[in-house]
Order: sequence, then structure tokens, then C-alpha cells
Amino acid sequence: MTAIPLGEIEIGSAPFVAEVMRARRREKLRRMGFSIGFPLLLLAMWQAAASAGMIDVRFFPSPMRILKTSIETLQAPDERALIEAHLMATLSRLVLGYLLGAVLGIIVGVTMAVYMPFRASLAPIIYATFPTPKLAIFPLLIVIFGLGDASKAALVTLGVFYMTCINSLAGVQYANPIYQDVAQAFRVPASTRWFKIIIPSALPSIVTGLKLGIGQALILVVSAEFVSSNDGLGYFIWNSWQTLDISRMFMGLVIVSIVGGIAVVGGNALERYLIPWAKH
Amino acid sequence: MMAATSLQDERPARRTEADLALSVRGLRKLFVTARSQIVEALSDISFEVRQGEVVALLGPSGCGKSTLLRILAGLDTYDGGMIDWSLGEELNNAKRLRAATVFQQDSTLPWMNIANNLKVGMSGLRLSRAEQDERIRKYISIVGLSQFVEGFPHELSGGMRQRVSIARALATEPVLLLMDEPLSALDAQTRVVMQQELLRMWQRTASTVVYVTHDIAEALTLADRVIVMTCRPGRIKEICDVPFGRNRDVLDVRRRADFGALEVDLWKMIAEEVGDRLQ
Repeated sequence: MTAIPLGEIEIGSAPFVAEVMRARRREKLRRMGFSIGFPLLLLAMWQAAASAGMIDVRFFPSPMRILKTSIETLQAPDERALIEAHLMATLSRLVLGYLLGAVLGIIVGVTMAVYMPFRASLAPIIYATFPTPKLAIFPLLIVIFGLGDASKAALVTLGVFYMTCINSLAGVQYANPIYQDVAQAFRVPASTRWFKIIIPSALPSIVTGLKLGIGQALILVVSAEFVSSNDGLGYFIWNSWQTLDISRMFMGLVIVSIVGGIAVVGGNALERYLIPWAKH
Repeated sequence: MMAATSLQDERPARRTEADLALSVRGLRKLFVTARSQIVEALSDISFEVRQGEVVALLGPSGCGKSTLLRILAGLDTYDGGMIDWSLGEELNNAKRLRAATVFQQDSTLPWMNIANNLKVGMSGLRLSRAEQDERIRKYISIVGLSQFVEGFPHELSGGMRQRVSIARALATEPVLLLMDEPLSALDAQTRVVMQQELLRMWQRTASTVVYVTHDIAEALTLADRVIVMTCRPGRIKEICDVPFGRNRDVLDVRRRADFGALEVDLWKMIAEEVGDRLQ
């Protein structure tokens, strides 16, 4: 299975190698063409429909119009500062809530998987409350944590906790039992068992939980800001819609999408870093 | 099954006992089914393993030979009889494992490199770092993977990964090396090559081995004694000596006339078992 370094292939076959590499590049370009081209096509159709007056531009401004508004907004220093403040408000809730939820979820999930009394005690509560829409608990969280940042971060923590806890639990429980057999047959010490066998064997599932948690966290933070906030991207979007500044509303949506996109790319990078042995 | 008991009775009691690595007497294993019925998986299993000896456990699938090996490995409990490790006790100092196992399926840990896979195997032994490194170097070289010591399991082929598992077990310098059909997942050509490799490794490391297999030719090729097991319950039907010596060659041994004769004998015993079960 060892790959032959290209340099070692005999000279006579070099044109063949070059041809294979060209074919691979063509294939990759074709894939990228579709992935970039189709979204652009949709935007172009939207633009055409707006220009032709087929849709009401008061509610669906054309993509060019939104781009123009965005650029103007970002060029005005006070507007720009305002948007940055909204972004930072959302990010701080998001990051704090996410980290707390992820750490708690992994610790509780793995402990549940390994320690029966813990699992038997907590599993009914966790599985019973899991299907509850987290936003429905938000009023309760406001009662507990007040109207400020704490209740919103707590909502994010809750959503991320369920995702990482359930996936960590499943990760340990459904890891290939051969790894536990190795730990037992070789009588490895407890610390080795935990940190070199149990947790790594559950890592693929734990990382899946972390990635699902990103989506949850973003949904919850924006929803919480819709409902109860004076700042943050959710507030910005909701406020723009209420003042019928639809271009700004779309601008807010784009910023949220960019934050989500960066988080997903980061999650995939984390996955490649933590579990290089898994097929991606 | 009488042969097993008579063989033990003839054994001079004192003289050989010091050379024993392991003694199993009257071992019994029960399972309780979902319908509360008791099934006897292993019944009255008695045998001994001498130091430096390779013993094959041979029998059709489902005869409990893997269960027996799991019990010896400490992965399963038993419900009667006894396993006496004390006979190999003077060997059993802190720097050796009582038993190390090579599993049928790939059991390398994919999240760590080959050297660390071996280190995890030795982690219960409290060896100095220098001694760990020395053992890694030695046993990785014995299985012929020196150039992959920093590599990861997913970069190796199935046969190479199984060699890593073997090196991991050898590195604990076990009183007893337990192997559960370690070659059955490999293709036929690789298997023959690996059989020769195993003979060579065992000789270099003076290993004492219990080797589970359902392959008659493999049992004869590798073992000094073959324990033939019956099905339902798993009992010892016969213990056959294999008179080929330890210094043997996989291909030469198969050309011997007595290899063929033994193979036919064993085949008849196993066929009876399978036949009984089919009726």
C-alpha cells in the first residue's frame, strides 16, 4: 500500500503520469465548476427576475442592490462599528456557550458510557428532555439567568450539551469492542485505558457531536437574539425586517451564513486533525 | 477423549512440573440462554502447556475453542475447574505479562503509530523508557516492520497490521502467547508466508504458545501438540503429538509422509464432529 514517489517512476512513463494528473485536475475543475456555477446561476436568475419586475423589489431586492447596500454600510465608519458590535455580541455568546456545552457534554457522555450508575441515573432524564425544542426552555432560562448574555449563552450551552453528550455516549458504547479487549487482555493501567483507548476510540463520534453542535449553537443564538435582545446579529436581522430595511436584513443573513461557514470549515479541519485515520 | 487423561496419567509427576507454563484442570463454562436454559460451552477441559511448547486448539466453529482462549486471556469468566499459572511462576516476574493475546480481527489502535501501539501493550509492566524503546526496536525488527515504526496502522496492509499485533504481544515477553486464529483473515498466500514467519519468531523468542485454529494443516504445520475439541459441549476429544521438532520449514513439513497421515487422522476426528452435528 506504500505509494510510489512520482520521482521513482521510470522516465518512459512520465507522459502517462502527466496525463493521469491532467485528467484528475480536469475532474476536480468540473466538480468545482458545478459547485460554484449553480449558486451563481440562482443569483443570476434572482437578479434577472428583479430587473424584469417579476418580483417585488421592496421585499426581494436584487442581489446587486444587497451588495451595494452592504458595501455602503461597511464603508460608513459608524455603521461599520455598529455591525462589528453586533457581530462581537453574537460571537461572544456563541463561543462561551459552545465551549461550555461541548466540555460538559463530552465529560458527562463519556462518564455515562463507562460508569453504569451514572448512565442509569441520567439516561432517562437526558433522553426525555432531548426532543424538547430548546427555544421553548428559553423563558425559563431568562427567569434563572436574567435578560443579559448569560441566559443566551446558557441556551447555546444546552443545545450543544445534548449533541455532544449523546454522541460521546454512543461513541464509547458502539466503539469496536476489540479495543476494550486489548485494554483488558494487556492489563493496561486505568489512565492508559481512558486516555489512549476509550476516548480515542470514541473520537469519531465525539467529533460528529461537536460538528452537529455548531449548527445547533448558531440556530439557538440567533433565535434568542430575535426574541430578547438589543444587540447581536439576530437582533440586527429582526430589527431590519421590522423597519422594512430588507437589504440590511439580507446583509445580516449573509453575515450569519459566513460565521456558520467558517465554523463548519473549522469543524472539518478539527476532524482531519483529530481523527486522521478515518476516511473523509 | 480418553487419550487426554491417559496422557496426563503417564506423565512423571514431579520432574516435568517445573517445566510447565500453565495447567488447566476440569475447566467448565456455562452460558444461560435468553430462555433461561443452561448451555454447557466447555466441559471438563484439562490440559497442560510446557514451557517453549506450541499447542494448537483445533476444532470446528462453535466448539468453544475461542471461548477457552478468551478465558485464558482474562477476557471471560469460567464456572468450574481451575487454571494454575503458578507453575510458570518463577518466570512470572514483573517485567512479563502472564498472557498476551493476538486477536483474530485487526486489533491495532488506529489513532497511534506502530511504536505507541507496542507501548500500550507494555503499559501495565512498569518498564523504564529505555527498556520500552529497546523492546520496541527488537520486536518490530523480529516481525520485519522496522521501517514502519513511526507509521500508522492505516498505512499498512492487513498482514502487516497483524504482524504489529504479534509484535505487541511478543513485546510483553509473556509466559504464554495466546493466538486466536491470527491468520484467518489473511489471503492464502500471505497465510503460508506468515506461518513460516511465526515459526521463525517463536524460535527466536522461545515462546510458549496456545494457538486456536480450525485449519488442520495449519495446526500440524505450527504445533508440537494438537488438542482436538468436540462440539456442544466443548470437550477435549484427543491430544495428538506432532513429531516434527521445533526447527521446521513450512513447505518441507508438508511434504513429509507422516504429515499426510496425521492430517487424515485429524480430518476423520473433525469430520465425525461436524457429521454428528449435522444429523
